[in-house]
Amino acid sequence: MTPHADTAARAASGPASAAAPGPSSAPGDTVVALEGITKRFGETVALDDASLTVARGEVVVLLGLSGSGKSTLLRHVDGLERPTSGTVRVLGREVTRLSGRALRELRSEVGFIFQQFELVPSLTVLENVLTGSLATVRGPRLGLWSYGRAAKVEALARLERVGLLDRAYQRADTLSGGQQQRVAIARALMQRPQVLLADEPVASLDPESSDQVMALIREIAADEGLTVICSLHQVDLALSWADRIVGLRHGQVVLDTETEGLSKAQVMEIYGRVATSTDQFEAIELELSAGGAGGAESGAGAAAGPAGAAPVAGDAVR
Amino acid sequence: MSVVAERPRTTGAPLAPAAAPPRRRVSPERVAAGLTLLGLLVASLLALRSVDIDPARMLQSWSNAERFLGRVGAIEFPPLGELLQLTALTLGLVICGTLLAAVLSVPVAVLAASNTTPGPAWRAAARFVTVLARAVPDVVLAMVFVLLFTLGTLPGILAIGLHSVGMISKLFADAIEQIDEGPRTAVRAAGGTRLQQFTAGVLPQVLPSWVATVLHRNDINLRGSVILGYVGVVGLGMQMSFAFKSLQYGLGLGYALVIFVLCVVMEIVSSSVRAAMLGIAPTGRGLGDRVVRRATRRRGARGQEAAAPETAGSAAGSTRASGAAVGEPTRASGAAAGEPTRASGVPSARVEAALRRPWDRARRRSVTWGWAAVAVVVASVLVCDIAWSDLLTVWGGVPAVAVQFWPPSFGSYEASTMIAAMGETISIALAATLLTVGGSLLVGSLAARNVAPSPGVRSGMRLLLVGIRGVPEVILAIVLIVVTGLGTQAGTLALALGGVGLLGKLIADSFEEVAPGPERALTATGASRTQVYASATLPQGTRALIGHTFYMLDTNLRAATLLGIVGAGGVGYYLLNASQGSNYATVTAIVLMILVTVLAVEGLAIWMRRVFR
Repeated sequence: MTPHADTAARAASGPASAAAPGPSSAPGDTVVALEGITKRFGETVALDDASLTVARGEVVVLLGLSGSGKSTLLRHVDGLERPTSGTVRVLGREVTRLSGRALRELRSEVGFIFQQFELVPSLTVLENVLTGSLATVRGPRLGLWSYGRAAKVEALARLERVGLLDRAYQRADTLSGGQQQRVAIARALMQRPQVLLADEPVASLDPESSDQVMALIREIAADEGLTVICSLHQVDLALSWADRIVGLRHGQVVLDTETEGLSKAQVMEIYGRVATSTDQFEAIELELSAGGAGGAESGAGAAAGPAGAAPVAGDAVR
Repeated sequence: MSVVAERPRTTGAPLAPAAAPPRRRVSPERVAAGLTLLGLLVASLLALRSVDIDPARMLQSWSNAERFLGRVGAIEFPPLGELLQLTALTLGLVICGTLLAAVLSVPVAVLAASNTTPGPAWRAAARFVTVLARAVPDVVLAMVFVLLFTLGTLPGILAIGLHSVGMISKLFADAIEQIDEGPRTAVRAAGGTRLQQFTAGVLPQVLPSWVATVLHRNDINLRGSVILGYVGVVGLGMQMSFAFKSLQYGLGLGYALVIFVLCVVMEIVSSSVRAAMLGIAPTGRGLGDRVVRRATRRRGARGQEAAAPETAGSAAGSTRASGAAVGEPTRASGAAAGEPTRASGVPSARVEAALRRPWDRARRRSVTWGWAAVAVVVASVLVCDIAWSDLLTVWGGVPAVAVQFWPPSFGSYEASTMIAAMGETISIALAATLLTVGGSLLVGSLAARNVAPSPGVRSGMRLLLVGIRGVPEVILAIVLIVVTGLGTQAGTLALALGGVGLLGKLIADSFEEVAPGPERALTATGASRTQVYASATLPQGTRALIGHTFYMLDTNLRAATLLGIVGAGGVGYYLLNASQGSNYATVTAIVLMILVTVLAVEGLAIWMRRVFR
């Protein structure tokens, strides 16, 4: 994949402190490279020879219905899963060969945001954020007093960044879903990550909170020069949000395109490829090819009928 | 018109299915389980006859009771100073023992839980320890430790501690297995070690249930401390046993009354601790939970109001101090957005201010309870006046004692006598369980909201159950022995009566939890109240009923082995005799018999629960 000019420019224009965290951090170099990943869970094939390369500073959205392998792919990047075959290289290291301390170090450089937030409900918001720094301290921690002042200051600053400083000492389960996801973002930032993975970060949120959370992730990614890989199932959200869209279907990469300058027809095709079931897809393809003679505009118009139902179908499957 | 003619019902021809429906296939395992259940029922009926419970004799014993009460005279109490000292000693001993178990149970539970164990071998070993600890009665442990340490509180603490490990670590392991794996995965994804995953992702989730279990166990141990007194563990129980042995019935009953009150007070305290410290609503079945629920109901509404909007006070400069959840987060800290968040710089004033945790309600509460807990622990340890050096010197005496206990032998007793005694114990347990099930079905059903004919009946029955639960079974047995004389009758009645308190409550709860749909459907067809009960409520509650009944049998069997110690029949009598006569080989033999029986019943219960799931 060639470096994305727009992304590179954005990363460069970000704050100076954010741009150069490591030695191999020239904007545009490859940060994540998955090659021919196949993952089987018993009989089921979750990933089928999937490959993906992501450059530093890119914001990539994985698009697909539930069960298409998005989560499994993300978990491979963080070394939470091991591929049945294929190689995973992240930040210049081969994840499949790492274990113990080296693997934990890599994980600490990769933030992970979950669909269900995964905060400890009975702990305070601040303690939850502090758990993001566990990889840099040694030994078990329980309770606020067990973290140092410096870590607490940093955690509070992260909370301020996501706009929840005034909730620091509340129990995590007293917050709304959107607020909890923002705490989870602060926790991920606490790792000082270079890569941010987000697995359906807004699937459990209402539309308004969704917009807030997505905007926050995008903004922080730009400020800190983070590379983002985010899985979503809503095509419209992905289009408005991503530099690049990667479509997954039955564990295979069926689409890999940059979002800038997409024509309407191409957008419709994306709906067809990733957000509908097979028979719907074939129907759209037929209409697209039939309408192709009359020009791209009319083709898109003709496809609008079945495609309009596509996002709904995606929701229903979830 | 023609429509009416077409209706088949008007033709008068009986409806019959075209073909016989396929027969339901029953697995052989279910048949075997059903037969076992039937066998147990028959055995229980036979047992009921063998333990000599018949109404005529019970009436006769009523006159015994009158005579007895005349003999007792007034209930006496020891001098107040002595009483207070004994009470403190008993409480301290029980708390220390429970604490020991609480600490020991953490590693055992971690090894025993499927999601935290390092390997299957560790897990099997830990499960074995759990089962063994539960199967060996604390009285037997106390006998051994009394022999080793002779004086002081250590025998009691160790006996309670080692025995309680079984229950606490089992429930704790279950809680660990039921956690939400999400937070733990999050810590793992952030690069946390296995230990960090446990302390940051697992422990905070299970801590409340661990504390609740420990408190619950503490209640049980306080009840059990009575019987420990009979084998030489210091405290109220020991004084009571002395009083009864020297035929000072008034004084003995005085001690019994004090213990009863202590148990009730302890339940109220532990229930309110659970409610206040953990934020767990007191939904339990005990008397304590009830009292606390009543007391906090009025406060509840006010408390919630106050707790909700409390935010970090020092950060109140924020525009969102009102706490409305809608928030426009992304721009809120616009000034901070450009600021380096890499913590290298100087923290902003708001962060600096937020570093100091405000003394809000939650913090005041947790700090208060924390220090109170520390104070109780320190006081308990001090009161017990533990001879720590004994823990080091005792090992020298172990070989000599061990030799006395091994090999097991029945000594001067005939093997047939002992087997008959064990059979008597099993009879007591079976008969008591049968009586309990009968009584509980009646009381428990009437205590269920969806069965009771009126709310008044329901509350009356619930209150009755709570009242029964408040009395320690051992006290019940002792009083019954005094009234009806030594023997299996007293033991059976004590267990049966005590059991109704527990099983009745469990049955009532299970019945209230059945799906209401079928009941409504039957009511809608015009079925009577009893028909609805028999055809909708009971069938849905049967599975739970079988599970609870086996739990009851399990509990009764353990209790029945011990009731003999106070003279209520069965093998316990010989156990106490053997220990007091220093026939330790016989103690070992009896304990092995008890172990085998208890484990067999437990295995049976596990199998039944699996088959009828």
